[in-house]
Formats: sequence, structure tokens, C-alpha cells
Amino acid sequence: MNNSISGPSKFTHGLGVLGLLLLLTGSVMGLTWAPPEQHMGEVSRIVFVHVPSAWNCLLIFTFACGFAVWSLWSGSRKADSYMVASIEVGIVLNGLLLVTGMLFARPTWGIWWDWDVRMTTSLISLIFFGGVLAMRALIDDPKQRATWSAVAAVIGYVDVPLIYFCVRWWRSLHQVQSTPDTMSPGIVLPMRINAFAILFLAIWFLSMRASIERNRLAAQDVDQPDRLLEGGTL
Amino acid sequence: MNIVRRVAATAILIAQKDLRLEWRNRARLFSVALFGLVVLLLLSLAFGPNSDDLQRAAPGSLVVALLFSSILSLSESFRLEREDSALEGLALVPIEPMGLFYGKFLANTLFLLLLAGILIPVTVVLFVVEADARVLLQLTGFWALAAVGLAAPGTLYAAMTSRLRSQDVLLPLLLFPLEVPALIALVKSFGFILTGDPMEQLVSWTKLLIAFDLIYVALCGVLFPFILDEGS
Amino acid sequence: MASYDQRHGSCEMHSTDSITASGEPACTQPANAVTARGVGRRFGRTWALAHIDIEIKQGESVLLVGHNGSGKTTLLRLLCGLLRPSTGDLRLFGSAPQQQPFEVRPRLTLVSHRTYLYEQLTALEHVRLWMGLAMDSTYHSTPAEAQERRAKELLETVGLEQRAADPAVQFSAGMRKRLSLLRTQIEDPDLILLDEPFSALDPAGQDMVTDWLAQLRARGKTLIVASHALEQASKLCAKAIVLHTGQIVWRGAAADVTAGLLTHATKSNS
Repeated sequence: MNNSISGPSKFTHGLGVLGLLLLLTGSVMGLTWAPPEQHMGEVSRIVFVHVPSAWNCLLIFTFACGFAVWSLWSGSRKADSYMVASIEVGIVLNGLLLVTGMLFARPTWGIWWDWDVRMTTSLISLIFFGGVLAMRALIDDPKQRATWSAVAAVIGYVDVPLIYFCVRWWRSLHQVQSTPDTMSPGIVLPMRINAFAILFLAIWFLSMRASIERNRLAAQDVDQPDRLLEGGTL
Repeated sequence: MNIVRRVAATAILIAQKDLRLEWRNRARLFSVALFGLVVLLLLSLAFGPNSDDLQRAAPGSLVVALLFSSILSLSESFRLEREDSALEGLALVPIEPMGLFYGKFLANTLFLLLLAGILIPVTVVLFVVEADARVLLQLTGFWALAAVGLAAPGTLYAAMTSRLRSQDVLLPLLLFPLEVPALIALVKSFGFILTGDPMEQLVSWTKLLIAFDLIYVALCGVLFPFILDEGS
Repeated sequence: MASYDQRHGSCEMHSTDSITASGEPACTQPANAVTARGVGRRFGRTWALAHIDIEIKQGESVLLVGHNGSGKTTLLRLLCGLLRPSTGDLRLFGSAPQQQPFEVRPRLTLVSHRTYLYEQLTALEHVRLWMGLAMDSTYHSTPAEAQERRAKELLETVGLEQRAADPAVQFSAGMRKRLSLLRTQIEDPDLILLDEPFSALDPAGQDMVTDWLAQLRARGKTLIVASHALEQASKLCAKAIVLHTGQIVWRGAAADVTAGLLTHATKSNS
């Protein structure tokens, strides 16, 4: 058993630094260079954080589901550590998305919360994946913890599109999803830069969290006591 | 015997056993239904006494009462297997894990259906809703669709949480967010059944419920064998 | 699942594991019932078992002795696949019990100190449930009356025919044990693991178990018995293993195992 402490590679740290620089660039561009939105004005600049975190949140939860399937398939610790890291990073992005969404909703719609499709779906996925983490905290055996949380993560992830369609039928007030064609390039570019920035940062956090998890598991490993006894085979 | 027949035979044996045990233990089903009645009573007091308000709140209240009592029913279903470690005995036989899942799922679905038999008529009375036999039947039919979608992940999660500390919190925490599509579909369809469906939207909600059922009945059956490994 | 129906086949073919430890192809002689090499099991940071090397041939009977907490139950649970080994290689009839449960589990059974009964199910219903789950290909095509007759015959062999219609909750510990022993007869495995088979039984019940285990031995079944009842158990078993704090401290003939030896073997180790 390998008890050595390992961390993410230099490449991953480089990716993190690149992410920070891109985030700075994208945000400065978004705040100064990009034109204000026609109807909502300056307040709309929050989309440069809101929209990229929404994209990345969904992407990271997709990673989590992929890692969960890998973990069930292989039973490897690596898969489990990446799964829990993706869920935690996904939850952070999900929280960011909800908070920025609420900050955006207040001045534009006049309310903090609206039961629109995307807000409802992301609130439910936040609660669900929070539940998966709560379950993990209650299981002591590492193997059982890996399997059970992977099962729960797969089931929860499959639910996300179902919730989305269901809430859309239930009620929809949200503006029609804008595609890059209908937005001015001044808005699109900083948004894209920030999307990649957040993705790189998320991968950086993810691999750091995963290596913490692996080190934590490795620290619990105790080698078999090597006091061998005399005695032939039976 | 091929695998499908073995799964089916196991499922039937397990479901029979569960139904028999539940019948001997029918005081439990009775108290679960009584709990549902208490929820309905509280909700009707909270929304009443104006009969218009009550009627508007009826579909949602019925769904909430059904979900709350279902959780109690589901979390009990694996307690039986934990007493005297019977589940471990089944693992040694060895039982086909999928068969065990579908057997428990069948039995659980039937209990959830029985709940509707008690809670739906009570809702009609307490919430001053006008309903004829056809409406009652329609409500039960939609609950049956939702019960399948509730019992499949419910059985899977109950198998996990029954072996953990603080299972009483964890099962609803995991199951309720998952059931949001079923809940919304159910509230909407109950509403259309009780107050009329001018836009003929009932069909799309039915389709959504069926899709939800199919996905989870299949997915949970595939995932269940994983959680049985190293049971105790 | 071909092996399921062919489990009583004469030659034990296991394609992937056809080499025994000595390097000979397995089919020239039957695979060992149990082969453990360096098996250990850890719970959290504590090792409950370490360095377990066992080889048990088919048809052998082995007594497992040790104080409470010496690892007997953990070893039995590892052997039947209810627990995963944390390290080492464990083979039953040439297959790993955790990776290939459907190869291994039909061929063994564990008589635990737990009885695995449902409180509200009657003795007869238990027997019929086990018969059904054992998936004997002929059972499901047998008419219900014949199934019930067979179940009642089985209950007679453990002296419970008068209580067939009573739920398990009304049974005494000894009766529960007798009922749970029937599982072994229904499943008819090749390897029987027994955890304290004599506990909770009256002298008549203990004699019943002794006779029944002797019969199984005569039929060429492999027995592994963990017991504190040295006198009865050593009559049944040829060989013995003494466990102490999770390790094997003594191996030898079961007849040599006495309370004195047990004390000596465990003291010299600690």
C-alpha cells in the first residue's frame, strides 16, 4: 500500500493559473469593454459570471456521473476521489449560479426567487447532491462509501433532464434561451473567456480535492502487521 | 434456468413473502395510513375553512400526504430484512440480486397503492371536493403510475439507508428531490382531474410519468446489485 | 450460469483457475475446497485477521478454535464471501467468493450464530421460501402439495413438525437454530461453515447436530466448524486450527486440541 502524499501535477497548477488570468481578463472585458444590455442596463453584467458558472456546473455534474459509472465499473479509489471532487466543485458552482441568479432576478424581475425552469432545476440538484455528500459522511467503509454514493450520483444525474422538462411544462417565465447569434459579439467574447476560465479553475480545484481524498484514504491504510508465525500448511 | 426466469421466480417469492409479512403486521400499514390522515387533517386546517381555498389546495395536499406516508412505508420495508440479518441469509443462498430488488419493489408498490385507497376518499371529504366514481378511479390510476416511480428509487435508497445511522433523515433527503418530476406531474394531473382539463394536458403528464417510471424501474434494477456487495 | 445447474458435476472444471498451488492442473485432482494465501482483513485501522494461509481439501473437516475476538467469525465470513479480504488471495473451489459469488455461494453455506429468520413467518413458510430460492430446477415444476409434503418431511428431521404453523417469533433460541439448520439441507452445499453450531441447543439438539454433521462428513462434504465446545467438535473434525488475535498460532490434529493446549498456544504467541 502506498502511503506517500501526492498532489496534482504541474500541468494542473498551470491550468489553474491560466484560469485565474482568463477570469481576470474576461471579467475586466465584461465590466468595461462589453456594451451594456439594451433592456437591463449595467446590471446585466452579472451574466459574465452567472452564465459560465451554469454551463460549467452542468458540465462538472456530468463529469461526476461519468466518474460514478467508472467507480462502479472499476471500484478504483481514483474514480471515487474524482467523483467526490466533482460533486463538491459542482455544488460550489451550483451555489454560485443560484446566488448570482437571485442577484440578477431582483433588479430585473423585482423578485429574489422565481420558480422558473433553470432556477428550480438547479435548486433541486443542489439539494440532491448535498444529500449524496450527507450520505457519504455517514458511511465508514471506504469501498461501501464509494459504491453507494456512485449509485446515488448516477440516479440523481439522470433526474436532472427529467426535472428540467417537468418544470418547463409546469411553468416558464424565463426569457427564451439566448444563442450566441442573437447576442452582440461584445457580450459573447467575455462570456466565453469566463466560461473557459471557470472550467480551468474547476478542473484545478477538482484535481486538488481528488488528491486530498486519495491522500486521506491512503492515510487510513495500515499495512498488515508482518509478524509471521511458524507453521506448515494444514 | 435462464437468468430472466430466475430473476422473475425470485422476485415473486420475495414479493409473496413481503406481502405475507405485511399482512401479519397490518397494524403497521394501518398506522402509516393514519399518519397520512393526520397530514391531510393538518393541511386542511392550514388551508381552510374557506371551501374555495380548500378545493384549490386539494391536489397538492393529497400528493404531500401520499408522499409523506410513502416514505414511512418504504423505510420500513428493509427493516424486516435487517432484523436477524435475514438479508445476509438471502445473500448466502445466493439470491439473484435483481430478483430481490424487483420483489421488494413489487411489494412496496402494492403498499403505496393501498395508501391511496384510504387517503383519496378522505381528501375528497376533508377538502370539500366533488368527485364521482370515475374521478376517484382516475386519481387512483395516476397515483399507481407515480407509486411505481416512487417505489423503484425508494426501494433502492431504503436498502442503503436502512443500514446507516440517521436513516430517517437520509431517505427523504435523497428521495424527495428525486421525486420532483413525479410530484409535479401528480399535482398537475390531480388538479386537472378534479377541476377539469380544458387544454387536454393530462396526456402529456401521463407520458412524463410513464417515462419516469420506465427509466427508474430499469436503472434501479441495474444498480441494486452493486449495493448488496458486502452487506453488513 | 451453467455452473449453477452443474454444481454436482463429477469433475470440478474451473477454466481460469485450473492450476493449483503446486502447479498441477486442477482436473487431475479436485480443486481445494479452500485455498487462502496471505489473507488479511482490516476494519478501519485494525487488522482483525492477518497472514492467513489455509489449504483445505474437499472432504476434509476442520475445527476452528480460539478465544472470543480471535477472528473465527471474521474468517468464516470471509470464506463465504460476506466480507472482502483486504489483502491476499482467497479461493473456494478455485473461484474468488467476492468476484464470482454465483460460482461459489451455491456450493457453500454458513450456519451463523444469527438465524436469518423473519419473525412473522411460520416454520413451514421459511422452509418453502428457502426451497424456492434455492432454485432447484425441479422444484418450481413440482405441484404445491408435493412441495408442502417435502417441506414437512424436512421439518420432521429437526423435530419441528408440531410447530410448522407457528411464526418464528414464538420459537425459543434452540428451535430457531434447528430451523435455520434446515437451510443447509435444502441447499445441499459442498462446503458447510458452522459458527458455534452447538450454542443455544439442549443435549438432544446437540446430538442431533453431531449426528447430522457426521452424516455430511460421510457423504464427502467439507466442514469448517468454529466452536468452543471442544469435546463435541473434535469428534467431528480431523484437523484443527487455533486462531489468536487474528493469526493462526497452531495447526494439528483435532484430537490433540484441549483447553490446556489452547492456553499454551495462545500464551506462547502473546
